[in-house]
Amino acid sequence: MASHRSVCFSCREPVQAPSCVGCGALQPPPASPDPFVLFGLPHRYHIDAADLDVRYRTIARATHPDRFVSRPAVERRMALQWTAALNEARRVLKDDRTRARWLATGRSAPRESGGPALDPAFLAEIFEWRERDEDEPGVMRELATASRQKLFRKIETEFSEWEGGSGTLDHIEDHLNRLTYVEGLLRSHPEA
Amino acid sequence: MANIGIDLGTTNSLVAVVMNGRARCLLDDAGASMLPSAVRYEADGSVVVGRAARDEAPRHPHRTFTSVKRFMGRAPADCQADAALFRVKMDPTEARFVRFLVEGHAPVTPVEVSAEVLKLLRARAVECLFGEPGGAVITVPAYFDDAQRQATKDAARLAGLEVLRLLNEPTAAAIAYGLDKRGGGTFAVYDLGGGTFDISILKLDDGVFQVLSTAGDTHLGGDDFDRALAELAAGGADAAAKLDDGAFRGLVASARAAKHQLSEHGAATVATAGGDVKVSLDAFEASILPILERTGASCRRALADAGLTAAQVDAVVLVGGSTRVPLVRRHVATLFGREPYCDLDPDEVVALGAAMQADILSGNSQLADDMLLLDVIPLSLGLEVMGGVTEKFIPRCSTIPVNAHQTFTTHVDNQTVVDLHVVQGDRELASQNRSLARFELRGLPPLPAGVPRVRVEFTVDADGLLHVAAKEEHTGIEAKIDVKPSYGLSEEDIERMLEDAIDHAETDVDERLLIDARVEAEGILAAIHKALATDSGMLVGNEAEVIQEVATALQASMTTTERERISALSKKLDEVSAPFAQRRIERDLTLALSGRDADEVGAQMGLR
Repeated sequence: MASHRSVCFSCREPVQAPSCVGCGALQPPPASPDPFVLFGLPHRYHIDAADLDVRYRTIARATHPDRFVSRPAVERRMALQWTAALNEARRVLKDDRTRARWLATGRSAPRESGGPALDPAFLAEIFEWRERDEDEPGVMRELATASRQKLFRKIETEFSEWEGGSGTLDHIEDHLNRLTYVEGLLRSHPEA
Repeated sequence: MANIGIDLGTTNSLVAVVMNGRARCLLDDAGASMLPSAVRYEADGSVVVGRAARDEAPRHPHRTFTSVKRFMGRAPADCQADAALFRVKMDPTEARFVRFLVEGHAPVTPVEVSAEVLKLLRARAVECLFGEPGGAVITVPAYFDDAQRQATKDAARLAGLEVLRLLNEPTAAAIAYGLDKRGGGTFAVYDLGGGTFDISILKLDDGVFQVLSTAGDTHLGGDDFDRALAELAAGGADAAAKLDDGAFRGLVASARAAKHQLSEHGAATVATAGGDVKVSLDAFEASILPILERTGASCRRALADAGLTAAQVDAVVLVGGSTRVPLVRRHVATLFGREPYCDLDPDEVVALGAAMQADILSGNSQLADDMLLLDVIPLSLGLEVMGGVTEKFIPRCSTIPVNAHQTFTTHVDNQTVVDLHVVQGDRELASQNRSLARFELRGLPPLPAGVPRVRVEFTVDADGLLHVAAKEEHTGIEAKIDVKPSYGLSEEDIERMLEDAIDHAETDVDERLLIDARVEAEGILAAIHKALATDSGMLVGNEAEVIQEVATALQASMTTTERERISALSKKLDEVSAPFAQRRIERDLTLALSGRDADEVGAQMGLR
């Protein structure tokens, strides 16, 4: 667990963890926590899901509201905030898409609430898929499945290079926006 | 001061406590753990609770209340069917919450009736523990929404209980099973009670109970079996409906007794107005099969939400008295492809689990100091946004506690109030979800439309209850409210909402996209009209005609359902008016930053 606050709000002793070692008081969570820092993990796309679960359980045992039922209201509130922040961080890290987007942009969701921006060439390609699907039903699903795999491979490769010290994450968000669209297509064209 | 666990059931309620490292149910003077959730109000103001109230209900049909759990946290308009089914009369003058009319007594709410049951359980605890209990863990169906949970908490408060936690019934059962077996793995808990059905999928690993998903129906249970059997014996639903309230209650009571006989002996007789009627097991099973089949859909959805197949579940646990019916067991075995566990008493297991959780929450547990429970929210939470669309901010089956925030702005110049409408459910349109609450953020500084930034923070606590706080970011003006139940939809509506959300996903999406397109068009048109009215002097060439032409076409298209045409025209209007907009922005910047070179400011802002 990374340090997020230097003194305990309650006894003023220095603290490094969610709870003050001196008096046991739970400290408030950081305002907008970095999910990787919260779990003590390096900024990497490749993470070990089982390890994440173990870390989650360890921290949740320390912060969960159930542990603070008989503590003062201020600490109960902090336990609620901490565990909520922890649950959100785990959600971001668990899913390949949100984890990738967070690393590339510092956000877990697309910028626009109305759906992400897509380039015209990609949209033209989708348009062509739709036309082909009308002639030959099922083609859309095949093409979208292949595209989905390809996008995941690209994301994977670019992160591998970046983690190896070369390359950038400049195209990740673009891949993710396309992926969101393609997965939407797959949902709206279920298997026959 | 030991903490207690209470199962506040539709037909029966129990209280349990951990003593000497073991959870046990507390018994009444007659040695029974189950207290029938039946309450009778006497003319002299006294109250009869339990077995006597239940057994004498046919003689006092207008003063006795059973199955009130079905009415908890719901609006009268949503309860008409249940009121007819249970032969209770609701106060027609009260539209906001349910109030039952009582013969020779003031009207009572379901919360008050439930509080009478809780008071008796509390008294039992005081007697057995030789003193006041500490806090209480009270169980609720996992599929209870915010208003139903809040109503349960209110009833406990009325009964003088300190609620430590509202605990989901299937989760309570899982604790009792998990701590009993001390194993790990993935469980499905199939909980069919007197009036509610839940299915929860949980993972137990290293002392942590993690609920993966939950689904259910808060209006499906053994009550429905009783009614089906009563109608079968009476010769059909119409014949049963013609009976007077006392005779009908007598028939249902006789059917309930016969149901237990059928499960054990394969045949039974029901006493009807026209004499005793023999009912075979086959006929009974045929009559309840449609009710049972409704549980299958919930099971499939819970598995899908957990990302599992039935084969990946290690064990299926049966909970609730209604799982004693042999057909229920066979049905579950077929659904999950394995024999379900029923080692623990299905009537007591929820109360035992609640007592264990109450013990763990005490901080000096005799049972399992390191055990941790992570539950989920059963239904998505969202806000009604422009055009009546739901903007989900917390998806169903998110681990609680959970929070989310969204930023909103104003749509009209100098708007000082923002209304927010919180809904619960999974449909795209807000009107098809259950309304939880409406609240206002007042006192915004008067600013041009779109300038204020209202950040709204939603938190669902460990009881599954929603708290909302809102703040205007520039001024720091804060408003904080707890969601109060306003009114609701029937359970059939909630169920239909979820089923429909899946069945009609595509129509919903189309409808939503059309609304989005219209809202967007309205916004652009409003902005253009305002600009043309105030700054027509800044138009050059034939700009005015071109803009007006596209605006007129857009206005006309908005009355149609041609979404793509609306979007295309909106985009075109944006394009043709862009140079005009840019000139206006530059002029405004120049005015605002007078003293500095407009070109320089424009360049810095990326306008040139």
